[in-house]
Amino acid sequence: MSDRDEPEGIIEREIKMDVDVIEVDQEMDFENVSSEIADLEVDLMTEESSEDEMVGYRQQPGKLPFAKPGSGGKNRFSKPTNQEMIPESQGGKLTQPWGSHRHDGLVSGQIIGKPTALVDSHWKVTGQAQYGDDIRLPGELIGRIVRSPYHYARVLSINCSKALELPGVVAIATGADAANKFGVLPVTKDEHAMAVEKVRHVGDLVACVAAENELIAREAERLIEVEYEILEPIHDMRKGLDDSENPIHDRGKYHIGEANVQKRVFQEFGNIDEMASNSIASHKQNWLFAGVNHAATEPHAVVANWDPSGRLTLYTPQQVPHYVHRALADVLEVPMHQINVHRTFVGGGFGGKSDPFPHEMCAAILARKSGRPVRITFDREEVYWINRGRHPSRIEMNLHADEKGRICGIETDALIDGGGFASFGHVTTYYNGVLHTAPYEIGAFHYTGARVWTNKPASGAMRGHGAVNSRCAVETGLDDLAEQLEVDPITLRLANLLPPHSATITGFRVTSIGMRECLERVKKESDWDKKFRKMPLGKGIGIGCGFFISGSGLPIHWDPNKFPHATVHLKIDMDGGVTIHTGAADIGQGSDTVVAQAVAEVLGLPLDMIRVRSRESDTSPVDLGSYSSRVTFMNANAAISAAMQIRDELLDATVEITGAIRDKLVIGDRRIFAKNDPAVGISYLEALHKAQEDRGALVASGAYRTPPMGRTHKGAAAGLAPAYSFSAYVAEVTVDVETGQTKVDKVWAAHDCGKALNPLAVKGQIIGSCHMGLGQVISEEMKYGRGGHLMNPDLLDYKIPSVHEMPEVFPIIVESNDPEGPFGAKEAGEGPLLPILPAVCNAVYDAVGVRTAELPITPDRLLKLIERRCRKEGIKEPLELESPTLKYSPLQNVLAARASEHSQRDLDRRLDANRKPYHNGALFGLDPTIPPDEVDERWAVNVIPSKDYLTKPRLAGSAWRHMERRHRGDS
Amino acid sequence: MLPSAGDVSWSAEINGVNKRLNIENNAILLDVLRDQAGSLGTKRGCDMGTCGCCSVLVNGEPRLSCLTLAAEVDGAAITTVEGLADGHHLHPIQAMFAECGGSQCGFCTPGFLVVTSALLDENPNPSDKEIKCAIEGNLCRCTGYQQIVDSVRAASDILTKGLQLEDSTSPKSDPHPGFSGG
Repeated sequence: MSDRDEPEGIIEREIKMDVDVIEVDQEMDFENVSSEIADLEVDLMTEESSEDEMVGYRQQPGKLPFAKPGSGGKNRFSKPTNQEMIPESQGGKLTQPWGSHRHDGLVSGQIIGKPTALVDSHWKVTGQAQYGDDIRLPGELIGRIVRSPYHYARVLSINCSKALELPGVVAIATGADAANKFGVLPVTKDEHAMAVEKVRHVGDLVACVAAENELIAREAERLIEVEYEILEPIHDMRKGLDDSENPIHDRGKYHIGEANVQKRVFQEFGNIDEMASNSIASHKQNWLFAGVNHAATEPHAVVANWDPSGRLTLYTPQQVPHYVHRALADVLEVPMHQINVHRTFVGGGFGGKSDPFPHEMCAAILARKSGRPVRITFDREEVYWINRGRHPSRIEMNLHADEKGRICGIETDALIDGGGFASFGHVTTYYNGVLHTAPYEIGAFHYTGARVWTNKPASGAMRGHGAVNSRCAVETGLDDLAEQLEVDPITLRLANLLPPHSATITGFRVTSIGMRECLERVKKESDWDKKFRKMPLGKGIGIGCGFFISGSGLPIHWDPNKFPHATVHLKIDMDGGVTIHTGAADIGQGSDTVVAQAVAEVLGLPLDMIRVRSRESDTSPVDLGSYSSRVTFMNANAAISAAMQIRDELLDATVEITGAIRDKLVIGDRRIFAKNDPAVGISYLEALHKAQEDRGALVASGAYRTPPMGRTHKGAAAGLAPAYSFSAYVAEVTVDVETGQTKVDKVWAAHDCGKALNPLAVKGQIIGSCHMGLGQVISEEMKYGRGGHLMNPDLLDYKIPSVHEMPEVFPIIVESNDPEGPFGAKEAGEGPLLPILPAVCNAVYDAVGVRTAELPITPDRLLKLIERRCRKEGIKEPLELESPTLKYSPLQNVLAARASEHSQRDLDRRLDANRKPYHNGALFGLDPTIPPDEVDERWAVNVIPSKDYLTKPRLAGSAWRHMERRHRGDS
Repeated sequence: MLPSAGDVSWSAEINGVNKRLNIENNAILLDVLRDQAGSLGTKRGCDMGTCGCCSVLVNGEPRLSCLTLAAEVDGAAITTVEGLADGHHLHPIQAMFAECGGSQCGFCTPGFLVVTSALLDENPNPSDKEIKCAIEGNLCRCTGYQQIVDSVRAASDILTKGLQLEDSTSPKSDPHPGFSGG
């Protein structure tokens, strides 16, 4: 301002100018004038403004204005602010039943909440998107991997001489080339690039070869001679609990007994025996869940290239490029700054591309040896050898309910089959227990879990990590409890929900909860009351709920108090386009889109002005990657924080030019103006150029880190998250009682994602989750034969649902406006998978009156159960069976009354800024404001089993019979 | 890939362009398209005809290129995903897959696109059942198919109404709205 001669005069003219602009703008938008007239007006206006050199921008008197870069756009006029997209708290018309949000002031009405096509979708639909195998570098070699034909064997020798003599073979590597261990979790690094001493499952890596073409590589693979000493394998997870002569791994002094137990967990909250003795209804079921694979359509592929400056670039479709980065540095003994991990487009991840993989190490080693780029692409079969799918599990579920219809106890025992390696298993073992302690208020919780190594491809993280199987067991158990109590299962759930802003029995801090709304919506829209227990034989309806973390509270590799979980950089140069640098891995879920949306919203820009650079570790800030449903929550928060800094600078510049009061300034579509007088304002580019004076491009860095939370007992961090998502599904099925064939007809799927930043993508995630969960419940299974061989490593025999198996899904988005989420958002990628399994199981019961305890519910399994019921009831023809019915007991009214009372309680808590703490246990007469373990020692957390327990342990609990080597004093 | 049995000359009209290539006489069409003809948009998902990612049109008919010997289609007109758009004008089916969420990770998308474009060529206004039958050989792991069916329906609307879609290189938003440049 100081360098202007007549500041006041300029402001007046600027204001006048802006009025003109707004008028033209409004005419265009509201009266649909033809473009010709509009162009004419623009021309007229241009002439006017070119006469007046002083308009719009700081100019030295007498000098011609510089041209502004970036014209040539078709959307020349900013759109008037859409009041329907501005929250009530900001004076707009967007209703906020859950109260205001800390990001309300940043809403510009641009794009948050609008169905938005993925920013990279045009690359995908034109075939231009490059996935792992589409990276073709000049001079590339083809790599192939020699895999073990035995379940468990010691590698005695590897003879490569014949293979090396084959013309066209350029390099061969074996375990001797990479002795260092790696693994996704720093506490359980147990993988080698290739077998160093032993092979641990059929398909385990033994050696790798790079050749001029695939044919030669395959021939060389055959010529590599490996001598094995076959060891006794184990396939049954129960055997993993016993001592073995040759444990699959040796963890040194931390080894548990001489067994194959990789991880064991014991957790006791509250007094389960006392609670169980008070119960009037109990459910007990022993479940067997088959392992399932992610079956992403893109098989794993990798390209490694050491460039002339000696740096490695690894092109890989990865969910966690940063972990690969670290693992490469460890294995290759090269500092991280000499490695560039380039994430290609990812053809589906679902957790199956979230480990650093041995074949990635192999490609890098081969490329280093050969001096040429090496590409390794998996066959579909190899995808099953690397696996990392959902753990095959044996879960014993015990639930208890008392005379008031309260869930007074949950006892879970989960034995999970980890296969040959640890992968994420440490976490999975905890998740099988702790992730079913909400959304219900529980009297006592007792969990024993164990993960064992077996000689199968490794299990790992898969969509709904660790929570899916045990959630299925809990929700079907609740259905059974409701049956025993003679109440409606939805009413039973509604009367036992935790309120918003509460702590679960395990001490998780839960913020927003939309569970009640989810249940009420699916109940209403599915016409539940008219259908439940009222449909004829063969037709059924069932309910299931879900609860999942929205980002893990603990970053795996560093102290969360020192480094943030996510960092996002922004760069804006004179052209006005915004470049976002983030390490968030877009695996098709739309993370690039959501980060772009967050920035576009804060800066008031159309999406085409935002460019996301998220591929390379060289240019992206470190990011943990796409797992535990963390990206929207953490990266969008970091992006907002960075965009806020740019926004501040733009507002400062606007104040400087217009002299408007800063507090009154708001950002609209490419324009910054005074809220009280929209005519006072300047374009985004003007403000930007002002802010860039004397310094050039604007850059900002934003970060997100979770607040401190949770308790301190061993394992307390597992399952901690800054927010949790909730969901409730109702499934309607048709069962052919004569063949046992189940067809899911309709699914009403309500999911609380906090705020749907992109409703199109949220619905896609919900429907896609239904697809994947449906596969697990009706058809998908990794089948192992008697000899332990995987019998269906292909998509012909491993049945993922086709379009004909898919039910009609009605996605229902519930927005609970999470106080810490970006614009209120939580996750929507994994949580929606959980409820479909129990909803279908419960619907099958409603249809034919049998409860399955084994997934998938294949026709043969279901028919056996139906026949058993026929025998039991002395009925010859299955068609004569009676469909289950329900007559309410007096408890139904008690529960309904409590549910409506709690509904008001939840509403009050949600909007009360001065709410008191609420700890699980209030329903059982404890003071909700104090953690129960602080007032009553019976509620103390116990993580070590008592001697008494060990005299009669459950299945997984028996892992505690062993003592760690370091405690035995013999090592 | 099978052991080689000698090279032969092979020609095809790939996306409207005549290509003459020397291929191994037992080469699989998918390998020829990806490794020799430069159609990396045609994806390899399973190599055994189960996933449909490698679908291409041979003389207008959908075929699984991983189960087709290149020699079988010598001289044919082959359309891959790269051949659907007219320059930068996307085919309506492409534009709608982007717009309606028919493509998430995008790996199966090329297969779905060529199959549904063949459907719409034959039947511009298919019923939901006809759409489902057309895509029954294609697997998608992300979308649960619902938004794919929505996309095909939306594309069918555009085709039957004869709407013209915008060129993807058309001007984008002006960063300096309200001014016509310096």
